[in-house]
Amino acid sequence: MRRRLLLLAAAAALGAVAFSGDRFWLQFLGKAMIGSILAMSLDLLVGFTGLVSLAHSAFFGLAAYLLAGLTNRFDLVNPVVTLPLCVAFAAACALVIGWLSLRATGVYFIMVTLAFTQMLFYLFNDSPALGGSDGLYVKTRPIEGRAAAYVAIWAAVVLVYLLLSRLLRAPYGRVLEGIRGNDQRMRSLGYPTRRYKLVAFVIAGALAGLAGYLDATLYGFVNPAQLGWRQSGLILVTVLLGGRGTLYGPALGALLLAFIEHYGERVTDHWNALIAALVIAVVLFLPRGLAGLVQGTPRA
Amino acid sequence: MPEALLQTGALTRRFGALAAVDGVSLAFAEGRVHAVIGPNGAGKSTFLNLLSGELRATGGLIHFRGADVTRATPDRLSRMGVGRTYQTANLFPELSCGDCVWLAAQSRLPSSMLFFRPAERYAQVGVRAARALEWCGLAERGRAIAGQLSYGEQRQLEIAMMLATEPSLLLLDEPLAGLGHDEALRIVELLRRVARGRTVVLVEHDMDAVFSISDSVTVLVDGRVLATGSPSEIRASPAVREAYLGEEIP
Repeated sequence: MRRRLLLLAAAAALGAVAFSGDRFWLQFLGKAMIGSILAMSLDLLVGFTGLVSLAHSAFFGLAAYLLAGLTNRFDLVNPVVTLPLCVAFAAACALVIGWLSLRATGVYFIMVTLAFTQMLFYLFNDSPALGGSDGLYVKTRPIEGRAAAYVAIWAAVVLVYLLLSRLLRAPYGRVLEGIRGNDQRMRSLGYPTRRYKLVAFVIAGALAGLAGYLDATLYGFVNPAQLGWRQSGLILVTVLLGGRGTLYGPALGALLLAFIEHYGERVTDHWNALIAALVIAVVLFLPRGLAGLVQGTPRA
Repeated sequence: MPEALLQTGALTRRFGALAAVDGVSLAFAEGRVHAVIGPNGAGKSTFLNLLSGELRATGGLIHFRGADVTRATPDRLSRMGVGRTYQTANLFPELSCGDCVWLAAQSRLPSSMLFFRPAERYAQVGVRAARALEWCGLAERGRAIAGQLSYGEQRQLEIAMMLATEPSLLLLDEPLAGLGHDEALRIVELLRRVARGRTVVLVEHDMDAVFSISDSVTVLVDGRVLATGSPSEIRASPAVREAYLGEEIP
Protein backbone atom coordinates (compact mmCIF):
# COMPACT_ATOMS: atom_id res chain seq x y z
CA MET A 1 0.00 0.00 0.00
CA ARG A 2 2.76 2.41 1.01
CA ARG A 3 4.64 1.39 -2.09
CA ARG A 4 1.66 2.07 -4.32
CA LEU A 5 1.08 5.53 -2.83
CA LEU A 6 4.74 6.37 -3.17
CA LEU A 7 4.71 5.37 -6.82
CA LEU A 8 1.51 7.23 -7.61
CA ALA A 9 2.84 10.36 -5.91
CA ALA A 10 6.14 10.12 -7.78
CA ALA A 11 4.39 9.57 -11.12
CA ALA A 12 1.98 12.47 -10.54
CA ALA A 13 4.78 14.83 -9.46
CA LEU A 14 6.93 13.89 -12.44
CA GLY A 15 3.96 14.30 -14.77
CA ALA A 16 3.17 17.74 -13.34
CA VAL A 17 6.69 18.95 -14.13
CA ALA A 18 5.75 18.80 -17.83
CA PHE A 19 3.54 21.85 -17.33
CA SER A 20 6.29 23.90 -15.71
CA GLY A 21 8.08 24.37 -19.03
CA ASP A 22 11.35 24.83 -17.18
CA ARG A 23 14.14 23.84 -19.55
CA PHE A 24 16.52 22.61 -16.90
CA TRP A 25 14.04 20.45 -14.98
CA LEU A 26 12.57 18.95 -18.11
CA GLN A 27 15.99 17.88 -19.30
CA PHE A 28 17.20 16.81 -15.87
CA LEU A 29 14.17 14.76 -14.90
CA GLY A 30 13.77 13.44 -18.43
CA LYS A 31 17.28 12.06 -18.19
CA ALA A 32 16.56 10.65 -14.73
CA MET A 33 13.44 8.85 -15.94
CA ILE A 34 15.37 7.36 -18.84
CA GLY A 35 17.63 5.99 -16.13
CA SER A 36 14.53 4.50 -14.49
CA ILE A 37 13.62 2.63 -17.68
CA LEU A 38 17.16 1.31 -17.94
CA ALA A 39 17.26 0.24 -14.30
CA MET A 40 13.86 -1.48 -14.34
CA SER A 41 14.65 -3.36 -17.53
CA LEU A 42 18.09 -4.45 -16.29
CA ASP A 43 16.48 -5.60 -13.06
CA LEU A 44 14.35 -8.00 -15.08
CA LEU A 45 17.65 -9.80 -15.71
CA VAL A 46 19.65 -9.10 -12.54
CA GLY A 47 16.98 -9.14 -9.87
CA PHE A 48 14.30 -11.39 -11.26
CA THR A 49 16.21 -13.90 -13.38
CA GLY A 50 19.60 -13.84 -11.67
CA LEU A 51 21.49 -12.86 -14.84
CA VAL A 52 24.07 -10.11 -14.40
CA SER A 53 24.48 -8.51 -17.82
CA LEU A 54 26.96 -5.78 -18.71
CA ALA A 55 25.55 -5.45 -22.21
CA HIS A 56 22.62 -3.25 -21.24
CA SER A 57 24.23 0.00 -22.40
CA ALA A 58 24.99 -1.61 -25.76
CA PHE A 59 21.29 -1.91 -26.64
CA PHE A 60 20.68 1.62 -25.38
CA GLY A 61 23.46 2.93 -27.62
CA LEU A 62 22.60 0.83 -30.66
CA ALA A 63 19.03 2.16 -30.76
CA ALA A 64 20.25 5.74 -30.28
CA TYR A 65 22.80 5.37 -33.09
CA LEU A 66 20.20 3.85 -35.38
CA LEU A 67 17.95 6.85 -34.78
CA ALA A 68 20.82 9.19 -35.69
CA GLY A 69 21.49 7.16 -38.84
CA LEU A 70 17.83 7.06 -39.89
CA THR A 71 17.27 10.79 -39.45
CA ASN A 72 20.60 11.93 -40.91
CA ARG A 73 20.98 9.57 -43.84
CA PHE A 74 17.44 8.63 -44.78
CA ASP A 75 15.40 11.56 -43.47
CA LEU A 76 13.29 9.10 -41.54
CA VAL A 77 12.10 11.06 -38.53
CA ASN A 78 8.45 10.26 -37.77
CA PRO A 79 8.40 8.37 -34.44
CA VAL A 80 5.66 6.08 -35.76
CA VAL A 81 8.34 4.66 -38.06
CA THR A 82 11.59 5.26 -36.21
CA LEU A 83 10.51 4.16 -32.72
CA PRO A 84 9.47 0.62 -33.71
CA LEU A 85 12.51 0.32 -35.99
CA CYS A 86 14.96 1.33 -33.27
CA VAL A 87 13.36 -0.84 -30.58
CA ALA A 88 13.19 -3.81 -32.96
CA PHE A 89 16.84 -3.29 -33.87
CA ALA A 90 17.84 -3.32 -30.19
CA ALA A 91 15.74 -6.46 -29.69
CA ALA A 92 17.36 -8.17 -32.68
CA CYS A 93 20.84 -7.33 -31.40
CA ALA A 94 19.85 -8.62 -27.96
CA LEU A 95 18.67 -11.83 -29.59
CA VAL A 96 22.04 -12.42 -31.24
CA ILE A 97 24.20 -11.29 -28.30
CA GLY A 98 21.95 -13.09 -25.81
CA TRP A 99 21.91 -16.30 -27.82
CA LEU A 100 25.71 -16.34 -27.81
CA SER A 101 26.21 -15.10 -24.23
CA LEU A 102 23.73 -17.50 -22.67
CA ARG A 103 25.88 -20.44 -23.73
CA ALA A 104 28.00 -19.34 -20.79
CA THR A 105 26.79 -19.17 -17.19
CA GLY A 106 27.74 -17.36 -14.01
CA VAL A 107 30.80 -15.16 -14.16
CA TYR A 108 31.53 -16.27 -17.73
CA PHE A 109 28.18 -14.90 -18.83
CA ILE A 110 29.11 -11.54 -17.31
CA MET A 111 32.46 -11.59 -19.11
CA VAL A 112 30.92 -12.41 -22.49
CA THR A 113 28.38 -9.58 -22.20
CA LEU A 114 31.24 -7.27 -21.19
CA ALA A 115 33.25 -8.35 -24.23
CA PHE A 116 30.38 -7.61 -26.62
CA THR A 117 29.87 -4.20 -25.05
CA GLN A 118 33.55 -3.33 -25.42
CA MET A 119 33.58 -4.56 -29.02
CA LEU A 120 30.67 -2.30 -29.88
CA PHE A 121 32.21 0.62 -28.02
CA TYR A 122 35.41 0.40 -30.05
CA LEU A 123 33.49 -0.18 -33.27
CA PHE A 124 31.67 3.14 -32.82
CA ASN A 125 34.56 4.96 -31.17
CA ASP A 126 37.05 4.12 -33.93
CA SER A 127 34.88 4.42 -37.05
CA PRO A 128 34.81 7.95 -38.52
CA ALA A 129 31.78 6.93 -40.59
CA LEU A 130 29.89 6.23 -37.34
CA GLY A 131 30.90 9.54 -35.80
CA GLY A 132 34.04 8.34 -34.05
CA SER A 133 34.71 9.42 -30.50
CA ASP A 134 32.75 12.66 -31.04
CA GLY A 135 29.49 10.84 -31.67
CA LEU A 136 26.68 12.03 -33.91
CA TYR A 137 24.03 14.70 -33.86
CA VAL A 138 20.43 13.72 -34.52
CA LYS A 139 19.75 16.48 -37.05
CA THR A 140 15.97 16.36 -36.83
CA ARG A 141 14.51 15.02 -33.62
CA PRO A 142 11.47 12.74 -33.89
CA ILE A 143 9.68 14.60 -31.11
CA GLU A 144 10.02 18.37 -31.34
CA GLY A 145 10.04 20.43 -28.22
CA ARG A 146 11.46 19.55 -24.85
CA ALA A 147 8.11 19.36 -23.09
CA ALA A 148 6.73 16.93 -25.68
CA ALA A 149 9.82 14.74 -25.37
CA TYR A 150 9.46 14.87 -21.60
CA VAL A 151 5.84 13.72 -21.78
CA ALA A 152 6.85 10.87 -24.07
CA ILE A 153 9.52 9.79 -21.58
CA TRP A 154 7.09 10.03 -18.69
CA ALA A 155 4.54 7.90 -20.57
CA ALA A 156 7.26 5.38 -21.42
CA VAL A 157 8.29 4.98 -17.76
CA VAL A 158 4.70 4.39 -16.67
CA LEU A 159 4.14 1.96 -19.52
CA VAL A 160 7.34 0.01 -18.88
CA TYR A 161 6.50 -0.28 -15.19
CA LEU A 162 2.99 -1.56 -15.92
CA LEU A 163 4.21 -3.93 -18.61
CA LEU A 164 6.94 -5.45 -16.46
CA SER A 165 4.82 -5.79 -13.34
CA ARG A 166 2.16 -7.53 -15.41
CA LEU A 167 4.68 -9.87 -16.97
CA LEU A 168 6.21 -10.72 -13.61
CA ARG A 169 2.85 -11.79 -12.19
CA ALA A 170 2.10 -13.94 -15.23
CA PRO A 171 3.28 -17.56 -15.60
CA TYR A 172 6.37 -16.28 -17.41
CA GLY A 173 7.39 -14.25 -14.35
CA ARG A 174 7.05 -17.31 -12.15
CA VAL A 175 9.41 -19.18 -14.42
CA LEU A 176 12.02 -16.40 -14.13
CA GLU A 177 11.68 -16.53 -10.36
CA GLY A 178 12.27 -20.28 -10.49
CA ILE A 179 15.31 -19.87 -12.72
CA ARG A 180 16.79 -17.38 -10.28
CA GLY A 181 16.22 -19.83 -7.43
CA ASN A 182 17.44 -23.04 -9.06
CA ASP A 183 18.05 -23.17 -12.81
CA GLN A 184 19.00 -26.85 -12.90
CA ARG A 185 15.86 -27.84 -11.03
CA MET A 186 13.72 -25.83 -13.45
CA ARG A 187 15.17 -27.85 -16.32
CA SER A 188 14.38 -31.09 -14.57
CA LEU A 189 10.81 -29.82 -14.09
CA GLY A 190 10.47 -29.51 -17.86
CA TYR A 191 11.40 -25.89 -18.56
CA PRO A 192 13.90 -25.23 -21.34
CA THR A 193 15.43 -22.49 -19.21
CA ARG A 194 17.84 -21.06 -21.76
CA ARG A 195 14.92 -20.14 -24.00
CA TYR A 196 13.17 -18.34 -21.14
CA LYS A 197 16.35 -16.48 -20.27
CA LEU A 198 16.85 -15.48 -23.88
CA VAL A 199 13.34 -14.04 -24.06
CA ALA A 200 14.03 -12.03 -20.88
CA PHE A 201 17.30 -10.82 -22.40
CA VAL A 202 15.49 -9.70 -25.57
CA ILE A 203 12.70 -7.92 -23.64
CA ALA A 204 15.27 -6.14 -21.48
CA GLY A 205 17.33 -5.25 -24.56
CA ALA A 206 14.29 -3.87 -26.37
CA LEU A 207 13.43 -1.68 -23.37
CA ALA A 208 17.03 -0.46 -23.16
CA GLY A 209 16.65 0.40 -26.85
CA LEU A 210 13.51 2.35 -26.03
CA ALA A 211 15.51 4.28 -23.41
CA GLY A 212 18.27 4.97 -25.96
CA TYR A 213 15.76 6.20 -28.50
CA LEU A 214 14.23 8.58 -25.95
CA ASP A 215 17.65 9.77 -24.85
CA ALA A 216 18.70 10.62 -28.42
CA THR A 217 15.37 12.37 -28.87
CA LEU A 218 15.80 14.43 -25.70
CA TYR A 219 19.42 15.42 -26.31
CA GLY A 220 19.65 15.22 -30.09
CA PHE A 221 23.03 13.65 -29.67
CA VAL A 222 24.67 10.22 -29.31
CA ASN A 223 28.24 9.31 -28.39
CA PRO A 224 30.14 6.09 -27.93
CA ALA A 225 30.60 6.51 -24.18
CA GLN A 226 26.87 5.85 -23.84
CA LEU A 227 27.32 2.28 -25.00
CA GLY A 228 30.53 1.60 -23.13
CA TRP A 229 30.69 -0.76 -20.21
CA ARG A 230 30.99 2.08 -17.65
CA GLN A 231 27.46 2.99 -18.57
CA SER A 232 26.38 -0.61 -18.01
CA GLY A 233 28.13 -0.58 -14.66
CA LEU A 234 26.27 2.54 -13.65
CA ILE A 235 22.91 0.97 -14.50
CA LEU A 236 23.89 -2.07 -12.46
CA VAL A 237 24.78 0.18 -9.52
CA THR A 238 21.37 1.85 -9.86
CA VAL A 239 19.68 -1.54 -9.63
CA LEU A 240 21.64 -2.57 -6.54
CA LEU A 241 21.11 0.79 -4.89
CA GLY A 242 17.39 0.81 -5.56
CA GLY A 243 16.86 -2.83 -4.64
CA ARG A 244 17.09 -5.70 -7.07
CA GLY A 245 14.09 -7.94 -7.37
CA THR A 246 11.66 -5.04 -7.23
CA LEU A 247 10.62 -2.66 -10.01
CA TYR A 248 9.96 0.43 -7.95
CA GLY A 249 13.34 0.24 -6.20
CA PRO A 250 15.49 0.62 -9.32
CA ALA A 251 13.00 3.11 -10.82
CA LEU A 252 13.25 5.39 -7.79
CA GLY A 253 16.96 4.59 -7.38
CA ALA A 254 17.63 6.14 -10.79
CA LEU A 255 15.86 9.34 -9.75
CA LEU A 256 17.74 9.48 -6.48
CA LEU A 257 21.06 8.91 -8.20
CA ALA A 258 20.37 11.77 -10.60
CA PHE A 259 19.75 14.11 -7.68
CA ILE A 260 22.85 12.98 -5.84
CA GLU A 261 24.88 13.54 -8.99
CA HIS A 262 23.40 16.99 -9.54
CA TYR A 263 23.75 18.35 -6.03
CA GLY A 264 26.94 16.41 -5.34
CA GLU A 265 28.59 18.23 -8.22
CA ARG A 266 27.97 21.56 -6.49
CA VAL A 267 29.51 20.40 -3.26
CA THR A 268 32.55 18.60 -4.57
CA ASP A 269 34.23 17.58 -7.80
CA HIS A 270 34.54 14.12 -6.33
CA TRP A 271 30.83 13.38 -6.28
CA ASN A 272 31.56 9.93 -7.65
CA ALA A 273 33.11 9.14 -4.29
CA LEU A 274 29.82 10.07 -2.66
CA ILE A 275 27.98 7.59 -4.84
CA ALA A 276 30.61 4.95 -4.14
CA ALA A 277 30.22 5.46 -0.40
CA LEU A 278 26.46 5.24 -0.72
CA VAL A 279 26.68 2.03 -2.73
CA ILE A 280 29.00 0.45 -0.16
CA ALA A 281 26.68 1.47 2.66
CA VAL A 282 23.61 0.10 0.89
CA VAL A 283 25.25 -3.18 -0.07
CA LEU A 284 26.49 -3.71 3.48
CA PHE A 285 23.48 -2.55 5.46
CA LEU A 286 20.51 -2.78 3.09
CA PRO A 287 20.84 -5.98 1.08
CA ARG A 288 17.41 -5.34 -0.41
CA GLY A 289 18.48 -1.85 -1.42
CA LEU A 290 16.51 1.31 -0.76
CA ALA A 291 13.39 -0.68 -1.61
CA GLY A 292 14.01 -2.55 1.63
CA LEU A 293 13.18 0.68 3.46
CA VAL A 294 9.74 0.79 1.88
CA GLN A 295 7.59 -2.03 3.07
CA GLY A 296 6.19 -4.13 0.32
CA THR A 297 5.53 -7.69 -0.68
CA PRO A 298 8.56 -9.61 -1.95
CA ARG A 299 6.93 -10.21 -5.31
CA ALA A 300 6.88 -7.07 -7.45
CA MET B 1 5.88 -59.91 -17.88
CA PRO B 2 4.39 -56.52 -18.73
CA GLU B 3 5.94 -54.46 -21.47
CA ALA B 4 9.02 -52.41 -20.64
CA LEU B 5 8.35 -48.68 -20.33
CA LEU B 6 12.05 -47.94 -20.08
CA GLN B 7 14.95 -49.90 -21.45
CA THR B 8 18.70 -49.39 -21.45
CA GLY B 9 21.09 -51.14 -23.83
CA ALA B 10 24.76 -51.42 -22.90
CA LEU B 11 24.45 -48.00 -21.25
CA THR B 12 27.89 -46.63 -20.41
CA ARG B 13 29.23 -43.49 -18.82
CA ARG B 14 32.95 -42.93 -18.54
CA PHE B 15 34.70 -40.24 -16.50
CA GLY B 16 38.19 -40.40 -17.96
CA ALA B 17 39.47 -43.90 -17.40
CA LEU B 18 36.71 -44.77 -14.95
CA ALA B 19 33.54 -46.39 -16.26
CA ALA B 20 31.03 -45.34 -13.61
CA VAL B 21 28.26 -47.11 -15.51
CA ASP B 22 29.58 -49.92 -17.65
CA GLY B 23 27.38 -51.63 -20.22
CA VAL B 24 24.15 -51.74 -18.22
CA SER B 25 21.25 -53.37 -20.06
CA LEU B 26 18.02 -53.35 -18.07
CA ALA B 27 14.29 -53.31 -18.77
CA PHE B 28 11.89 -51.52 -16.43
CA ALA B 29 8.40 -52.98 -16.63
CA GLU B 30 5.39 -50.70 -16.72
CA GLY B 31 3.65 -50.30 -13.38
CA ARG B 32 6.42 -51.94 -11.36
CA VAL B 33 8.86 -50.73 -8.72
CA HIS B 34 12.37 -51.67 -9.73
CA ALA B 35 15.09 -50.96 -7.18
CA VAL B 36 18.74 -50.43 -8.06
CA ILE B 37 21.07 -51.15 -5.16
CA GLY B 38 24.79 -51.51 -4.72
CA PRO B 39 27.69 -50.44 -2.54
CA ASN B 40 28.89 -46.84 -2.53
CA GLY B 41 30.49 -45.92 -5.83
CA ALA B 42 28.64 -48.66 -7.71
CA GLY B 43 27.30 -46.10 -10.19
CA LYS B 44 23.69 -45.95 -9.01
CA SER B 45 23.42 -42.17 -8.99
CA THR B 46 25.27 -41.88 -12.28
CA PHE B 47 22.83 -44.38 -13.75
CA LEU B 48 19.87 -42.32 -12.53
CA ASN B 49 21.42 -39.11 -13.87
CA LEU B 50 21.76 -40.76 -17.26
CA LEU B 51 18.10 -41.76 -17.20
CA SER B 52 16.97 -38.24 -16.30
CA GLY B 53 19.19 -36.62 -18.93
CA GLU B 54 21.36 -34.78 -16.44
CA LEU B 55 24.38 -36.69 -17.69
CA ARG B 56 25.11 -37.72 -21.26
CA ALA B 57 25.87 -41.36 -21.93
CA THR B 58 29.25 -42.04 -23.52
CA GLY B 59 27.88 -45.25 -24.99
CA GLY B 60 24.75 -47.37 -25.28
CA LEU B 61 21.08 -46.55 -25.59
CA ILE B 62 18.07 -45.46 -23.55
CA HIS B 63 14.57 -46.13 -24.85
CA PHE B 64 11.51 -44.62 -23.20
CA ARG B 65 8.06 -45.51 -24.54
CA GLY B 66 9.78 -46.94 -27.58
CA ALA B 67 11.57 -43.67 -28.45
CA ASP B 68 15.34 -43.26 -28.38
CA VAL B 69 16.00 -40.71 -25.64
CA THR B 70 19.72 -41.34 -25.19
CA ARG B 71 20.57 -37.74 -26.00
CA ALA B 72 17.41 -36.08 -24.68
CA THR B 73 17.74 -33.10 -22.34
CA PRO B 74 16.24 -33.12 -18.81
CA ASP B 75 13.48 -30.69 -19.79
CA ARG B 76 12.43 -32.81 -22.75
CA LEU B 77 12.41 -36.00 -20.68
CA SER B 78 10.34 -34.26 -18.03
CA ARG B 79 7.82 -33.25 -20.66
CA MET B 80 7.71 -36.85 -21.89
CA GLY B 81 6.70 -37.97 -18.41
CA VAL B 82 9.91 -38.67 -16.53
CA GLY B 83 9.87 -37.25 -13.01
CA ARG B 84 12.63 -37.43 -10.45
CA THR B 85 13.64 -36.59 -6.92
CA TYR B 86 17.13 -35.79 -5.65
CA GLN B 87 19.32 -37.23 -2.97
CA THR B 88 20.09 -33.89 -1.36
CA ALA B 89 17.51 -31.16 -1.09
CA ASN B 90 17.25 -29.52 -4.48
CA LEU B 91 14.36 -27.12 -4.04
CA PHE B 92 13.75 -23.41 -4.45
CA PRO B 93 14.89 -22.43 -0.96
CA GLU B 94 13.43 -18.92 -1.05
CA LEU B 95 10.00 -19.89 -2.35
CA SER B 96 7.06 -21.16 -0.33
CA CYS B 97 6.01 -24.80 -0.62
CA GLY B 98 2.96 -23.68 -2.53
CA ASP B 99 5.05 -21.76 -5.06
CA CYS B 100 7.51 -24.65 -5.51
CA VAL B 101 4.69 -27.05 -6.33
CA TRP B 102 3.02 -24.38 -8.44
CA LEU B 103 6.14 -24.17 -10.63
CA ALA B 104 6.12 -27.93 -11.02
CA ALA B 105 2.43 -27.96 -11.95
CA GLN B 106 2.76 -24.99 -14.30
CA SER B 107 5.38 -26.89 -16.29
CA ARG B 108 2.55 -28.99 -17.75
CA LEU B 109 1.05 -26.00 -19.56
CA PRO B 110 1.90 -26.29 -23.27
CA SER B 111 4.24 -23.34 -22.74
CA SER B 112 4.88 -20.82 -19.98
CA MET B 113 5.63 -18.03 -22.45
CA LEU B 114 2.51 -16.33 -21.09
CA PHE B 115 3.05 -12.68 -20.34
CA PHE B 116 -0.25 -11.02 -19.52
CA ARG B 117 -2.77 -12.91 -17.43
CA PRO B 118 -1.80 -13.28 -13.76
CA ALA B 119 -0.57 -16.78 -13.01
CA GLU B 120 -3.32 -17.44 -10.43
CA ARG B 121 -5.90 -17.29 -13.21
CA TYR B 122 -4.60 -20.57 -14.61
CA ALA B 123 -6.92 -22.52 -12.37
CA GLN B 124 -5.97 -25.99 -13.56
CA VAL B 125 -2.39 -25.34 -12.43
CA GLY B 126 -3.61 -24.43 -8.97
CA VAL B 127 -5.75 -27.55 -8.76
CA ARG B 128 -2.84 -29.77 -9.78
CA ALA B 129 -0.51 -28.09 -7.30
CA ALA B 130 -2.99 -28.32 -4.41
CA ARG B 131 -3.64 -32.00 -5.15
CA ALA B 132 0.07 -32.83 -5.12
CA LEU B 133 0.60 -30.97 -1.83
CA GLU B 134 -2.30 -32.76 -0.24
CA TRP B 135 -1.15 -36.15 -1.45
CA CYS B 136 2.17 -35.62 0.25
CA GLY B 137 0.67 -34.36 3.49
CA LEU B 138 1.73 -30.77 2.99
CA ALA B 139 -1.70 -29.20 2.47
CA GLU B 140 -1.27 -27.14 5.65
CA ARG B 141 2.28 -26.10 4.81
CA GLY B 142 1.64 -24.22 1.57
CA ARG B 143 2.93 -20.92 2.96
CA ALA B 144 6.02 -22.32 4.67
CA ILE B 145 9.34 -21.38 3.05
CA ALA B 146 10.93 -24.42 1.42
CA GLY B 147 14.40 -23.70 2.80
CA GLN B 148 13.08 -23.73 6.35
CA LEU B 149 11.25 -27.07 6.25
CA SER B 150 12.45 -30.04 8.26
CA TYR B 151 14.48 -32.63 6.39
CA GLY B 152 11.54 -35.01 6.17
CA GLU B 153 9.19 -32.30 4.95
CA GLN B 154 11.69 -31.31 2.27
CA ARG B 155 11.52 -34.90 1.01
CA GLN B 156 7.74 -34.72 1.00
CA LEU B 157 7.98 -31.50 -0.99
CA GLU B 158 10.41 -33.11 -3.44
CA ILE B 159 7.89 -35.86 -4.04
CA ALA B 160 5.00 -33.39 -4.28
CA MET B 161 6.87 -31.40 -6.93
CA MET B 162 7.57 -34.56 -8.89
CA LEU B 163 3.92 -35.63 -8.73
CA ALA B 164 2.70 -32.18 -9.81
CA THR B 165 4.44 -32.76 -13.16
CA GLU B 166 2.18 -35.82 -13.63
CA PRO B 167 4.97 -38.23 -14.53
CA SER B 168 4.51 -41.81 -15.68
CA LEU B 169 8.06 -42.85 -14.79
CA LEU B 170 9.49 -41.91 -11.39
CA LEU B 171 13.21 -41.83 -10.69
CA LEU B 172 13.83 -41.73 -6.94
CA ASP B 173 17.37 -41.06 -5.77
CA GLU B 174 17.76 -42.28 -2.18
CA PRO B 175 14.49 -40.82 -0.89
CA LEU B 176 15.24 -42.05 2.63
CA ALA B 177 18.85 -40.89 2.96
CA GLY B 178 19.51 -38.96 6.15
CA LEU B 179 16.03 -39.44 7.60
CA GLY B 180 15.26 -40.52 11.15
CA HIS B 181 13.36 -43.75 11.73
CA ASP B 182 9.89 -42.20 12.02
CA GLU B 183 10.38 -39.84 9.11
CA ALA B 184 11.64 -42.75 7.00
CA LEU B 185 8.54 -44.80 7.84
CA ARG B 186 6.34 -41.90 6.78
CA ILE B 187 8.17 -41.51 3.46
CA VAL B 188 8.04 -45.27 2.80
CA GLU B 189 4.29 -45.16 3.32
CA LEU B 190 4.05 -42.20 0.95
CA LEU B 191 6.22 -43.95 -1.64
CA ARG B 192 4.03 -47.03 -1.47
CA ARG B 193 0.98 -44.93 -2.30
CA VAL B 194 2.82 -42.96 -4.97
CA ALA B 195 4.09 -46.12 -6.64
CA ARG B 196 0.62 -47.53 -7.17
CA GLY B 197 -0.04 -47.66 -10.90
CA ARG B 198 3.27 -45.97 -11.74
CA THR B 199 6.62 -47.16 -12.93
CA VAL B 200 9.38 -46.49 -10.43
CA VAL B 201 13.17 -46.74 -10.52
CA LEU B 202 14.30 -46.62 -6.91
CA VAL B 203 17.89 -46.10 -5.82
CA GLU B 204 18.09 -46.66 -2.07
CA HIS B 205 20.41 -47.80 0.70
CA ASP B 206 17.77 -48.77 3.22
CA MET B 207 17.43 -52.53 2.50
CA ASP B 208 14.27 -53.04 4.54
CA ALA B 209 12.53 -50.37 2.51
CA VAL B 210 13.87 -51.70 -0.77
CA PHE B 211 12.78 -55.26 -0.11
CA SER B 212 9.37 -54.19 1.15
CA ILE B 213 8.27 -52.00 -1.75
CA SER B 214 10.11 -53.33 -4.80
CA ASP B 215 8.84 -55.82 -7.35
CA SER B 216 12.33 -56.44 -8.67
CA VAL B 217 15.86 -55.55 -7.66
CA THR B 218 19.06 -55.02 -9.62
CA VAL B 219 22.44 -55.07 -7.93
CA LEU B 220 25.12 -52.85 -9.44
CA VAL B 221 28.77 -53.34 -8.57
CA ASP B 222 31.53 -51.27 -10.15
CA GLY B 223 29.10 -49.96 -12.74
CA ARG B 224 28.05 -53.43 -13.91
CA VAL B 225 24.94 -55.48 -13.27
CA LEU B 226 25.74 -58.25 -10.83
CA ALA B 227 22.24 -59.67 -10.59
CA THR B 228 18.60 -58.87 -11.27
CA GLY B 229 15.66 -60.67 -9.73
CA SER B 230 12.78 -60.61 -7.31
CA PRO B 231 13.57 -59.36 -3.79
CA SER B 232 13.62 -62.90 -2.42
CA GLU B 233 15.93 -64.12 -5.17
CA ILE B 234 18.31 -61.24 -4.54
CA ARG B 235 18.24 -61.80 -0.80
CA ALA B 236 19.04 -65.46 -1.31
CA SER B 237 21.79 -64.98 -3.89
CA PRO B 238 25.22 -65.88 -2.45
CA ALA B 239 26.99 -63.72 -5.03
CA VAL B 240 25.00 -60.67 -3.93
CA ARG B 241 25.63 -61.40 -0.28
CA GLU B 242 29.31 -61.68 -0.86
CA ALA B 243 29.69 -58.66 -3.12
CA TYR B 244 27.28 -56.32 -1.56
CA LEU B 245 25.68 -57.22 1.68
CA GLY B 246 29.09 -58.11 2.96
CA GLU B 247 27.80 -60.94 5.09
CA GLU B 248 29.45 -64.23 5.74
CA ILE B 249 27.59 -67.02 4.00
CA PRO B 250 26.24 -69.26 6.71
